Amino acid sequence: MMSLGSYLIISLILFVIGLVVMLSRKNIVAILLGIELILNAAALNFVAYSRYVTNNLDGHIFSLFIIVVAAAEAAVGLAIVIRFFQIKETIHIDEATQLRN
Amino acid sequence: MEYTVGSIAPIFLSPVIAFVINAFFGRKLPRQGDWLATLSIFISFIFSARIFGDFVFGQFATDFFIHKTFTWFDLSHGSQIWKVDMGIYLDNMSAIMLLMVSGVAFLIHLFSTWYMDHDEKHGRFFVFLPLFTSAMLGLVLSDNLFSLFIFWEIMGFCSYSLIGIYNKKEKAGDASLKAFMTTRVGDVFLLLGIVALWMLLGSVNYVDIYAAIAEGKFDGQSVLGISFATFAALCIFLGAMGKSAQFPLHVWLPDAMMGPTPGSALIHAATMVTAGVWVSLRMYPLMVLGDITWFIAVIGAITAFGAATIATVQTDIKAVLAYSTLSQLGYMIIGVGVGSYNAAFMHVITHACFKACLFLSAGSIIHSVHEQEMPKLGGLRKYLPYTHFAMMACTLAIAGIPFFSGFVSKDRILGDALYYGFMSGQNPLLAIVPILGFAGAGLTAFYMFRMMFLTFYGENKQHHDNHGHGHGHHDAKGHKSHGHDIHHEHLDVRQNVPLLILAVFTLGFWFSGTLTGQSFGNLFGAKTEWFKILVEAPQVEKFVNHKREDFSKMDTREQSHLEHAHYHHQTGYAGPNPDEHKLHSAHTIGAIASIFIAFAGVLLAFLMYIKKSVNPWATRFPGLTKVLQNKYGFDDFYIDVLIKKGLLGLNRGLAWIDMGIYDRYVVDGAAAVNRVMYKVAKWFDNVVIDAIGVDGTGVAVNLFNLVLRIVQSGKIQFYFIMLVMVLASYIWTLNF
Repeated sequence: MMSLGSYLIISLILFVIGLVVMLSRKNIVAILLGIELILNAAALNFVAYSRYVTNNLDGHIFSLFIIVVAAAEAAVGLAIVIRFFQIKETIHIDEATQLRN
Repeated sequence: MEYTVGSIAPIFLSPVIAFVINAFFGRKLPRQGDWLATLSIFISFIFSARIFGDFVFGQFATDFFIHKTFTWFDLSHGSQIWKVDMGIYLDNMSAIMLLMVSGVAFLIHLFSTWYMDHDEKHGRFFVFLPLFTSAMLGLVLSDNLFSLFIFWEIMGFCSYSLIGIYNKKEKAGDASLKAFMTTRVGDVFLLLGIVALWMLLGSVNYVDIYAAIAEGKFDGQSVLGISFATFAALCIFLGAMGKSAQFPLHVWLPDAMMGPTPGSALIHAATMVTAGVWVSLRMYPLMVLGDITWFIAVIGAITAFGAATIATVQTDIKAVLAYSTLSQLGYMIIGVGVGSYNAAFMHVITHACFKACLFLSAGSIIHSVHEQEMPKLGGLRKYLPYTHFAMMACTLAIAGIPFFSGFVSKDRILGDALYYGFMSGQNPLLAIVPILGFAGAGLTAFYMFRMMFLTFYGENKQHHDNHGHGHGHHDAKGHKSHGHDIHHEHLDVRQNVPLLILAVFTLGFWFSGTLTGQSFGNLFGAKTEWFKILVEAPQVEKFVNHKREDFSKMDTREQSHLEHAHYHHQTGYAGPNPDEHKLHSAHTIGAIASIFIAFAGVLLAFLMYIKKSVNPWATRFPGLTKVLQNKYGFDDFYIDVLIKKGLLGLNRGLAWIDMGIYDRYVVDGAAAVNRVMYKVAKWFDNVVIDAIGVDGTGVAVNLFNLVLRIVQSGKIQFYFIMLVMVLASYIWTLNF
């Protein structure tokens, strides 16, 4: 029988993987993938708590919102990345320093 | 007999429409639209004739009037009334005046179509002519002094344009400016008088002014130390003096002959100069209340006599007529002054007929002969028979020969002046009024017949002297004489018929009582003339509590709130007059004296210029002639003394005030103050605003910048780490 704890552990693993990807990779697309993992961890958390604790649909609706927002954010983020690549011919995150000085 | 606005307004509006069309599209119309102007005046004439017929033959009461009005603007607040009405005031006097103005103006227009033919200013002339006429008709219809003033100024502008219509001639330009500036002096006073009345009464409607006089609203009011009524009356009369060319504002009228002759006819006869007499008559109760009638009479007498003396030595045919106009206007003003209200008005009408005819005749002569200097004319009787006939009838009228219109009106004025000067117990010095009046009447007969004899009788000098050369003289029309033979005059609708029609109205019976059957053959019985019955000085008491009529309402005869006084009920002077016997004898003496004087003048002219048994003035009194030819030096006086000494001196004084005081102390002082202010402001700007405000902000931002740039590295993963650490620390502090 699956319990709340196993969901939380999966969620935690996803979150940590996402965080590590986000902080360590220099590729912007990889960073966006990390962010997606973190969002999915959060969504999994919502669904798990909704199923085992409150026992209503609030968490499901919230996770739907998260998926929609994540899709929109991915679209915007990828558009930025494409423009960035057109200008700089690279997607290395440390090149995005035009505002400095 | 119903009167709506629609049956009155076309009198004024149809010439206005003709003016607008001619002004904008005149060049495209056939004959440059002169037929349109003439037709529009004829329409006015038809409407005026209807009103005249109703008023005069419909036997309305003497004091019947139609008053339609609407409020133009209203500045009243509280109990103080300040408003200006616009409207129509129509009484017997305006009915007669409208018929005269439109009729005479129509004949002048008709004549002008002949006179101005092939003239370069033909179209322009027929733009101003209908506007001029419409302004005069509007002035006659006005029910208040404000709209009167508007039309008054339109006429001033039109006279300016007509006098200076040959704008390439310098003399014409000067004359038009002179006319404009001289009448302006009077106009300023008129406006002052109107504003004064408006201040006191809150309205400048004739009806309101009459009612205010009757209610005694002027009592105890004074301005500048003189009674208010005197002040207002004097101001309005000064305006009338400017327009009616009374001494000493008469200098513009003789120069006004620089325009085309029909234009002069319109200025001298039907419009313009009669406007001054008109406003004096309308404001007659105010003049009486202000007690300035003696002043009016004296001014009129001086003008009547002085202008007549100048006319005796003029050689230009139009100059003689111009000075005779001055003189006759003097008689009208005498009439206003001595209280012969309806005789003064009758003289306006009779004078308009014969003076228009005289000017048109002069135009006919000038156009036929291309010469207007009388010594170069003569014997024209054979060549211009119709013109001669018309001009002779008018000359007889203006000279005051019995059975002609001038006798009827002038004799009544002189009779009243005689009574006023000698028998009414006035100041004995006022005897000067009848003395100058009678002397001027004699001179009038003399100089008019001098003109006739020099022009139409004797030898024709044009015909056999210098053909083609010798007198390259420019006449008023700008033609050059080319020495052609004078053509015999034929009867022409546009050339002579207007003259002959006007000549018919120089007969006395139209104006005396003969026409209405009361005094057939009674030359001296002035009491029963239709003028006497229809026109009387406004009885101010009747205007108290006068109910206004709405502009759109129809007037019917039954609405007259006054009883109809019929011709046969009223006999001469209203009310018992203890001096009636004296007045009657004054009129009899005056009539006999004026007949005698007129014939003496004619005889003198005959002896001098036909028989040549008496030497003309020039050889007898060379000094006096020179003075008269200089017109008593008024032109020189105005230019040399008033303008060169007075006005230039005043200018210098003002320049000294401007440069010496205002520039030095006020302007330069303000500059010095500004300089100090500038220094203070500069210090404030440099130190407070720039150093502390602007630069201080920069320094402060710089300091923050030093701290913040450590954190704001631009490396996005550093931000992520910061974010995670902050969240972690938050959870940490939450849990422990």
